[in-house]
Amino acid sequence: MRVENLSVDLDSFHLRDINLRVEKGEYVCIIGPTGAGKTVLIETIAGFHKPSKGRIILEGEDITCKPPEKRGISIVYQDYMLFPHMTVYENIAYGARKKIRDKKSLEEEIMRIAGIMGIKHLLDRRPETLSGGEQQRVAIARAIISKPKLLLMDEPFSALDTRTTEKLRDFVKRVASEYGLTIIHVTHDIVDVWSLADKVAIMNNGRIVQYGEVEEVFSRPADNFVADFIDVNILDGEIVGSSRDVVLIRAGDILLKAKANTVIGQHVRVFIRPEDIYVTTEQKRIGSECFRAVVEKIVENGPYIHLYLSRNEIVLKAILTRGYAKCLGLSPGRQVYVHIRPENIRVART
Amino acid sequence: MASLKFSTLCIIIALIVSLILFSAFIALLVMISPSDFIRSLETKEMQYSLKLTITTSLISTFLAVIIGIPVAYALARKDFPGKNLVKTILDLPMAMPEIVLGITLLLLFGHTPLAQFLSMIGVKIVFSPLGIIVAQLFSALPYTLRILSSSYETINPRYELVSRSLGYGELETFVKITLPLSKAGLIASTAVAFARSVGAFGAVLILAGGVYMVTETLPITLYLNISYGNLSMAISAGILLIIVSFITIFIIEKMGGGKLWR
Ligand SMILES: Nc1ncnc2c1ncn2[C@@H]1O[C@H](COP(=O)(O)OP(=O)(O)OP(=O)(O)O)[C@@H](O)[C@H]1O
Ligand SMILES: [Mg+2]
Repeated sequence: MRVENLSVDLDSFHLRDINLRVEKGEYVCIIGPTGAGKTVLIETIAGFHKPSKGRIILEGEDITCKPPEKRGISIVYQDYMLFPHMTVYENIAYGARKKIRDKKSLEEEIMRIAGIMGIKHLLDRRPETLSGGEQQRVAIARAIISKPKLLLMDEPFSALDTRTTEKLRDFVKRVASEYGLTIIHVTHDIVDVWSLADKVAIMNNGRIVQYGEVEEVFSRPADNFVADFIDVNILDGEIVGSSRDVVLIRAGDILLKAKANTVIGQHVRVFIRPEDIYVTTEQKRIGSECFRAVVEKIVENGPYIHLYLSRNEIVLKAILTRGYAKCLGLSPGRQVYVHIRPENIRVART
Repeated sequence: MASLKFSTLCIIIALIVSLILFSAFIALLVMISPSDFIRSLETKEMQYSLKLTITTSLISTFLAVIIGIPVAYALARKDFPGKNLVKTILDLPMAMPEIVLGITLLLLFGHTPLAQFLSMIGVKIVFSPLGIIVAQLFSALPYTLRILSSSYETINPRYELVSRSLGYGELETFVKITLPLSKAGLIASTAVAFARSVGAFGAVLILAGGVYMVTETLPITLYLNISYGNLSMAISAGILLIIVSFITIFIIEKMGGGKLWR
């Protein structure tokens, strides 16, 4: 799929010169602040907004002027949009009926996809009787049963809790490889990017400000906006303990408690935003475990202080308000205690 | 304390008003004996009137809903130049006295090139049963449009977008998704259109003439018999009209009509 110099003019919002190239079978995440135009972009690709300029090319064919029903592009929304007057079976069948005409192979296809998505036992139910996670699995099944050339997902997990989201990521991964899907997935969650995507596009103000391989974008942000937006500490670790929905992660010689749902021995990648790190100069209990680290470097940035903390090989960035940093009387070489609340630690399996 | 007194006052007013109305209904019912009522129903005039009212109302209701379905969709979903003007014009009959609606229709179908054209192809609307249908249709249409378009507006357009993306064209999506999702609105608007048609008086009187046993619908029966001093016929017609209203209200309530009158 190729988007070339695409511009869209809505009343007070404009998408400007969007270029995006997604190879067949690739998984692309789009992230960006709210109002950046992510939904408008994928709805334009689906054919719901008319571009004022540019082209959309899908599998070698110019589809810019085609109506949505002729594009072979499916869309999955955050709020599922299952048709309330149909059962789960009928909803999925609705997605297939234009492609699969005869009744027997339709039923086989529905059983196959229902098996993959784990919704076989729900087929006779009405959508309003399902949980959010179940509804979203049905919506995904409905979207892909016709083997679309492109699957668009607009924050598909945003209404779901962490545990359900983790499960759904596994379903999506499975079905994506099983069906050889090409996917564009809009998300706010950095874990989606790291655990699902090959490439990531970062949007701001109606533009794509950076697009590339996930590792590449995260290690080399193109400008200050991207750097700020993806500003996050990334650690590699291993699950060494777990109880109910809290796990113990060892990263280097740091032990972290996080809310996640993984088994012992699993290798994980851990994400911590710098503003979620709390620093004290004395050992205190403030609701979370703490560990010792040494102040490596202090960078002033307007009203904030960027603090680089090191512990053996690991360096963590923390952001403090200038006033608080003054109170602590920090200087390079000083030993401090680092606090991170479990709910602020995001975990992706690797 | 003050707020408590105020709310008590509101409730008392509500009770008083509904009591007055209820007494009026009861008065209508006790003014004639059941045997008089039955006798009125058995007269040729009442039978004619009842039959004519139901036939014309069914036709005009059907037309109002069939026209209302696409027009309300355009008003609820699509943008087009002059949309607000079109909306105002279509709403106008609702605010206009029925009798003025009647005279405008009379002029349109009696004194314009359109009238000449219609009479040329042999269609007679003025002072004819066809005129009843036209008058009823225009009395009912604004209500149908209101109910239908607000029921479309409550449907998230993304249902339609999803259906389009799954390969269904605009019309197919409308038939398979939008219409079923607006079922409650459809039923409520049908009920209201029927009630408006049955009860249409001023416009019917002016356009169709209100001629004894020719263009005589129930409201006309009531009016004619009141003027002849034939009270029991008039009251019987009134009772029939009230029965229609009650059934309508019942259907609307059942369809969650409260939500439709946003
Ligand atoms: N149909 C429309 N007509 C006019 N403006 C619109 C329309 N749809 C969206 N917008 C505007 O476009 C801008 C971008 O909206 P969009 O929904 O694409 O943001 P987003 O990046 O998806 O944000 P979020 O993360 O909150 O979902 C918003 O300011 C919105 O008000
Ligand atoms: Mg959005």
